Amino acid sequence: METTIPKSSTALAALLRADFTTLFRNRRSVVLALLVPNIILISWKGLVKHAGGPFVLATGVVIGLMAIGLMGYTISITRDRDKGIFQRLRVAPLPTWTIMLSRIIVQLFMIMLLTLVVFVVGYQFDGILLSTGGYILTFFVAFIGGAVYLCLGQLIAGLVKNPETVNATTRLVYFLFMMTGMFGDIAQFSDMGKLGPYLTSMAHWSPYGCVKIMLQASMEPAKWGHDNNVALMASVAYAIVFAAVGIKNFKWESR
Amino acid sequence: MAEQQDKYILKVEGLSVEYGPVKAVKNVSFDVLQGEIFGLLGPNGAGKTSTLSSIEGLVKFKTGSIIVDGQDVRQKPLHAKAAMGVQLQSTSFQPELNVVEILRLFGSIYGVQMDKGKIQEILKEIGLEDASAKKFSQLSGGQQQRVSLIIATIHNPRLVLLDEPTTGLDPQARRQLWERIEGIRERGHAVLLTTHSMEEAEAVCDRIAIVDHGQVIAIDTPQNMIDKYRNDPEVIAVSRRGKITLEDVFIALTGRAVRA
Repeated sequence: METTIPKSSTALAALLRADFTTLFRNRRSVVLALLVPNIILISWKGLVKHAGGPFVLATGVVIGLMAIGLMGYTISITRDRDKGIFQRLRVAPLPTWTIMLSRIIVQLFMIMLLTLVVFVVGYQFDGILLSTGGYILTFFVAFIGGAVYLCLGQLIAGLVKNPETVNATTRLVYFLFMMTGMFGDIAQFSDMGKLGPYLTSMAHWSPYGCVKIMLQASMEPAKWGHDNNVALMASVAYAIVFAAVGIKNFKWESR
Repeated sequence: MAEQQDKYILKVEGLSVEYGPVKAVKNVSFDVLQGEIFGLLGPNGAGKTSTLSSIEGLVKFKTGSIIVDGQDVRQKPLHAKAAMGVQLQSTSFQPELNVVEILRLFGSIYGVQMDKGKIQEILKEIGLEDASAKKFSQLSGGQQQRVSLIIATIHNPRLVLLDEPTTGLDPQARRQLWERIEGIRERGHAVLLTTHSMEEAEAVCDRIAIVDHGQVIAIDTPQNMIDKYRNDPEVIAVSRRGKITLEDVFIALTGRAVRA
């Protein structure tokens, strides 16, 4: 009797179909993930003329990216690991990378969707309109920024086995990043004393800061400069380090 | 027939599995023949699941070799996996997917064409025609087991691995599952199952291996094992109703102490 090993592309297509169906069935949580950045956009309407449209849009996108990468991705893979769904897939004749790639593609789709929704809401409610180049570059940068947070999510899921602890850790990191962002933003407009420059620099080059300054500049491509190139390289480096540690330490079962 | 019986579908030789300092499986060897239901019995923590996980490719074993339908699981893992069907201890599919979507997913993964006719045929076979749109999480325990078993055999594998398949099932569902397992054997497949139920081992297994502390301590048919140890003083001492059963032999061989 001949054994049949389906092509990796066939297996990946089947996994994608199942993962997108799962995403569709969880559409309430998708809506909630899209809601937070849009609440920011709407409530920060008065800030647009002071801080600028790109600042407000970038803040909305980066908070959405964090929610998807840190909370959505991490919690979904931890849940499936705990339920033994990955183990059931791993005993099938498919390369294990297809299982993870399918999950990541679904999250990248979510990131693109989020960016699009933020653009639409930003235009409708805050009147923020970017150039065509700005929209294209922002999609690219959102992709890179999303990868940073997905890889960070992978790192947390790789290092922590217990689903409850993963949940608590992602919330803590999310909160820390929000605080870092807020601190960075406050530091731009106020005197922080002697420690100010150091703290500002830390906030600036944190995963939150790098993604945000990239996003902000991508919306006005003419303003893209050396600082943004460094932030882009730092983001790629963050993604590589987080992914390498997260994949190396990833356990397929929670027991 | 004798020639066919001699052909093994699974051959495990000198298998050792270690988790850090813990030696879970120590030099285990056995084989499963074509058209045979082979039971792996043992107390909790005896090494049954570690042995099964090594065959399934879920655990990296330290030493030994595992051949499934002529394919070495280390050298050709995908070929070996394609030759086997697996039902894990806890049924585990995406809870958001319905029965038809699960069948489609695993059909594609195992390279089986799943058109509407084929899906209807499968649903009819497992008595879930009316539950096809139900999500996996909405099915009863018995229905979940049936879906899980059909997924394990969807690609007509040479070897079917079942990890405690009847745990948590009521007597009716258990009997039905036994019939399905025997049906797998009748179609010429080999079945390796782990169980805590001596009744199950006696009812469906052609041969059994008793595993304890990571080692195989006895291999034979259930009846031969009873006959072999019938006059053993330890077996007689643990016997409860005068009649020697497989459970008496099992307890005599593995001890009375409750395992964690």
